[in-house]
Amino acid sequence: MSIRRTAVTVTLLVALVAAVVASLSFGAVDVPFSNVIDILLGRDTPGPQTQIVEVLRLPRTVEALLVGAALGVAGALLQGALANPLASPDVIGVTGGAGFGAVLIIILYPDSIALLPVGALVFGLTAAALVFFIGFAGSGGGGIGRVILAGIAIASLFGAGTASLMAAYPDRVPSAIFFLVGGLTSTGWNTLDQVWPYLAVGFIVAAFMIRPLDRLLLGDDVASSLGSKPRTIRLVAAFAAAVLASAAAAIAGLLSFLGLVVPHVVRLAGGTNNHTFVVPVSAIGGAALLVAADTLARVVRAPIEMPVGPFMVLLGVPLFLWLLRKAV
Amino acid sequence: MTPLLEASGVEVTIGGTEILRGADLTLEAGELVAVVGPNGAGKSTFARAFCGLRRPDAGTVRWSGTDLADLKGRKLARLRAFVPQRAQVPNGVRVSDAVRIGRSAHLKPLQGFTADDRETIANSIARAGMVGFEDRMLSTLSGGEMQRVQIAVGLAQGAPVLVADEPTAQLDLGATAQVSKLLRRLVADGLGVVLIVHDLALAAAIADRVVVMCDGRTIATGPPSEVLQSQLIADVWGVEAELVRHQGRSGLHVEWLEPTRAESS
Repeated sequence: MSIRRTAVTVTLLVALVAAVVASLSFGAVDVPFSNVIDILLGRDTPGPQTQIVEVLRLPRTVEALLVGAALGVAGALLQGALANPLASPDVIGVTGGAGFGAVLIIILYPDSIALLPVGALVFGLTAAALVFFIGFAGSGGGGIGRVILAGIAIASLFGAGTASLMAAYPDRVPSAIFFLVGGLTSTGWNTLDQVWPYLAVGFIVAAFMIRPLDRLLLGDDVASSLGSKPRTIRLVAAFAAAVLASAAAAIAGLLSFLGLVVPHVVRLAGGTNNHTFVVPVSAIGGAALLVAADTLARVVRAPIEMPVGPFMVLLGVPLFLWLLRKAV
Repeated sequence: MTPLLEASGVEVTIGGTEILRGADLTLEAGELVAVVGPNGAGKSTFARAFCGLRRPDAGTVRWSGTDLADLKGRKLARLRAFVPQRAQVPNGVRVSDAVRIGRSAHLKPLQGFTADDRETIANSIARAGMVGFEDRMLSTLSGGEMQRVQIAVGLAQGAPVLVADEPTAQLDLGATAQVSKLLRRLVADGLGVVLIVHDLALAAAIADRVVVMCDGRTIATGPPSEVLQSQLIADVWGVEAELVRHQGRSGLHVEWLEPTRAESS
């Protein structure tokens, strides 16, 4: 690995550790980090600080870390699989589907709000499955243009469903906003308990797709020469991305910006498109960005919590634009 | 000895149209076979079919004696390397990265490169004459350099056969000569090379045998000087031309326009 790539990896790892420390320490009540360490190691005397760190902040920090990593990886997989720099979980319908599933629960079944993550997950995956079926089935399936157009059509369909629900029940719209702009909540380990198997499957499949995606970089013919099936690579990589992005939406709502931008930042900073570098480092970068943004969202107007979505955009866009100008 | 490649009676139908109606080819080690023919004769489709990029609808293809249908994934990748006609030039990929990707045909999922693999990668770059270019981005290379990288990627596969589809079609004279010499060197090292090419003069100069394709069929095969006669050129291309060879140089003397009255009298 080159010095530059090592430097980028180390920088992002340091940023991630700093963000995790900040996330556990800062909030409506500040807990000194030495106390946080004692609490995590069980060396403290139980008190309100222990409650805050163990029950509220630790699960939330872990969620932010996993969601950020999942979205970073999902974006990197999709941009590689579809050979399109604009690809993000939006283009395979996941964002539209998950949004619809969540709004359906929030607006039509507000008494069963605990089902929200399930609704987001199920509809996110359903939307992706529809896109894959239309995009990959039959002869001539699997072309990038067809998959992307199918994705835009399905996303519009679910988007229209979401808009219709909101128009029909305008009084219930405010409770849906937090999900739609994206944000983490301090609800303990419940959501993660339901969603972690999906994250695990997504991350494991992603690891196996790194080398096949590198082959696709050199074109479908070279990938075929090397014994791979380009269509299968696209489908499996997009499937892993759909699972990761749906699980992320179930936990933290719609944060699609992260999936789009983080892999680009990683590529620009590392000066390479190799997936061996881009996929794992996008996981680290996505995690660092989301943990940092979530901490800021809690601290800026404490004790009021802001949704992390807009904060992440505020943090991420200047960095992204700076890199973009430098790269061209 | 079993030939490296035996293809016979290969047929391919795409979208209801018969593109290949019966094409044959054999290749031995240390031999360069050029597949020639007019545009639309089915040369590229034939190459893609026997390489397994598009499975043939009929006919048999054997690589080192094994039926193509029984060869999947890494097994097939170790028997033949296919160098495509139009290279995809991705951003952010270095020459060394590309050749490493070529070597990945030898790895199981998640397996890392061995010292042996790294040696093959360095060797492939050297054989293709790309030493010193390892850290260059593909997007900064010239057409001829890119073509040599493509060949290095194929060499890293470690297969005994290299199939190159029109590797010189977009290259200037100098780069074409460079790639031709490179292919001949590989043949001298014992590789079997199939070259899909439309340039008859080039085919005549560098091929041990030519296979002529017309309307989806192979219609003639043999040493260039025997096969590429004026009559065959007139029949297949509809052009009056004569292949001239002199002291290792070759050229095609073509009657580009109708003969004027003064010349014909």
